[in-house]
Amino acid sequence: MSRRAGAAGSQTALREANKALVVGTVQRYGGLTQVELAAATGLSQATVSTIVRELLAAGIVDTAVTTRSGRRAQLVTLARRVGLAVGIQVGHRHLRVVLGDFAHEVVAEQMLPLPFEHPSDTTLDRGALLVMDLLERIGSDLEDVVAIGLGVPAPVDVDTGVVSVPGLLRGWEDEHLAQVLTERLGRPVLVDNDANLGALAEATLGAARGYRDAVYVRASYGIGAGIVLGGQVHRGFAGTAGEIGHVQVDPTGHICRCGSRGCLDTVVGANALVEPLRASHGSLALRDVIARARDGDPGSSRVVADAGAVIGSVLAGLGTSMNPQCVVVGGELAETGEVLLGPLREALQRRVLLNQVAPLEVVPAALGQRAEVMGALVLALRSADVPVRAEDDAAPVGAPPGDGRRDGAREEQGEGGRDDDRG
Amino acid sequence: MTEATRTPLLSMRGISKRFGGVEALVGVDLEVHRGEVVALVGDNAAGKSTLAKMVAGVLTPDAGLIEIDGVPVTIPTPAAAHALGVATVFQELALCDNLDVTSNLFLGRELRDGRGARDDERMEQVARQILRDLTSRIPTVRVPLSHLSAGQRQAVAIARTLIGSPRLVVLDEPTASLSVAQTAEVLVHIEGLRDLGLGVVLISHNMTDVRSVADRVEVLRHGRNNGSFDARSTGYEHIIAAITGASRAATPRPVPLRS
Repeated sequence: MSRRAGAAGSQTALREANKALVVGTVQRYGGLTQVELAAATGLSQATVSTIVRELLAAGIVDTAVTTRSGRRAQLVTLARRVGLAVGIQVGHRHLRVVLGDFAHEVVAEQMLPLPFEHPSDTTLDRGALLVMDLLERIGSDLEDVVAIGLGVPAPVDVDTGVVSVPGLLRGWEDEHLAQVLTERLGRPVLVDNDANLGALAEATLGAARGYRDAVYVRASYGIGAGIVLGGQVHRGFAGTAGEIGHVQVDPTGHICRCGSRGCLDTVVGANALVEPLRASHGSLALRDVIARARDGDPGSSRVVADAGAVIGSVLAGLGTSMNPQCVVVGGELAETGEVLLGPLREALQRRVLLNQVAPLEVVPAALGQRAEVMGALVLALRSADVPVRAEDDAAPVGAPPGDGRRDGAREEQGEGGRDDDRG
Repeated sequence: MTEATRTPLLSMRGISKRFGGVEALVGVDLEVHRGEVVALVGDNAAGKSTLAKMVAGVLTPDAGLIEIDGVPVTIPTPAAAHALGVATVFQELALCDNLDVTSNLFLGRELRDGRGARDDERMEQVARQILRDLTSRIPTVRVPLSHLSAGQRQAVAIARTLIGSPRLVVLDEPTASLSVAQTAEVLVHIEGLRDLGLGVVLISHNMTDVRSVADRVEVLRHGRNNGSFDARSTGYEHIIAAITGASRAATPRPVPLRS
């Protein structure tokens, strides 16, 4: 086992470092027995035992009795305040599930790759089973779950939980998605569009925090935007606000799934990025194009950069209409960084009205690929009866600030709450 | 597919195998490229595992040509397969319950130090590195296999294939009898192998799992090729139709080289 640096200084510093190591390890694995913790951290069992006792007293971890290969063992998990919520994000090719507490702290998460054109019945069934598995992993059950947020890659009527535009997500139409999951799991379920959830998460915890008016762009297999106006996500009458993937950019282009011609989706969607590379690069998946663009492959970079410019020009129209302070770019394509963002920013800033007050910022999603699923978690937490803002008062009880165990999410949360007050 | 212009990592042409009166494989073709996951699907006794066993050096074909990186090869033994950079995980995981994770990973190919002694420290380092590369949830490499869940054992079996830097990994039913969370981990591992630039042959009955991670789906039916599908744009129904024989491979596949 790796020995921790002995030169780190005082006893206290060492103990704090070990504490942070233990918390970090529990966070990574969800739930661990003390024996496993000792092995995973390289600390002695006695040290782990002492640290766990201290963390338990400080309310940072919980312990429960479990069994490992027939023997009694002490399961250590991160402490949860008030209860748990579940965030589920259904993507075109993957499913993400997170379990989080009222501090928006993720206690367990799992990604599951999904097939092309996966049907709602199979995917929701797997999603429900995955939620149960993750709850079991942290030694919890559905009783602790206050609500479940579900994000799907299509506009949703949030009141009924039904996809509101036909043709955009095959196999998911005419299904009361919230009802299906509620029947399976017996907990309240809220459904929203994935880009709206990305916007919610970035406005609450991420890069759009502190801005009253912002746009979140999700550039993935298709493209969508979530609009934040006055600190609130603006969904529109039937949930189609921000569906920039269906703005026409090429009047002579291909027919889109929605039935129109030359939509943004037909120009910068997954197929449109993969096809031009077929002759030179062979048959690639979208993730290959992204990986190659990130590694500096000229052809792949060109395809992504051109997409960025077209997306930027469409965003300019939206920007002129709503005058946001910042545009946050997420989704898989954003993993290419400035390859996408540079041309997008340039196209956007060239066309949008210049103002003398403040520049329009274009930044990558702070929550990365987790933005949408974190939005689903935030949505679930906000729906719960327990006031989310109580955590501002609760924070000192849970963990003293500056103990180095978290990445500042708690402070961010505090500010997010204040934004709400203003809005 | 324009990938044909590049040399495939594995190319099998006109592979045939008989067991007495049973035609297990008849003139089967299979190609796998670097960074590609090819799923081999079919009904029971369609010949999937027989084909996998030939790549693994467990069975030898009666006829046909096998090329690895464009070089014609014979794979008479599992050791030969290993030397050629082929790693296989069979359905019945060949792991030792009483040994810890590191020992299982290196079983039969332990690292030695300069004096020829077993280098436990380096093996443990490599083991931890590999499990981290696969973003595995196994907390410690010192725990005996008997303490791990079915999904974790599968992860160890997959991690074992990465010892010795293989080029091609063959996985036979890696998600059979796993929970959804465990299946999710294994599928993420498979994506990881693909991202490392390895070729992967995935054999499975579970069409959802197959279509989730495969780039291409090759259907076998009664020991013959019955269709090749781009998994990124083909619906479930088309593949099922080919498996059940409701649809037949429309055109003969590229002329196989009979030996």
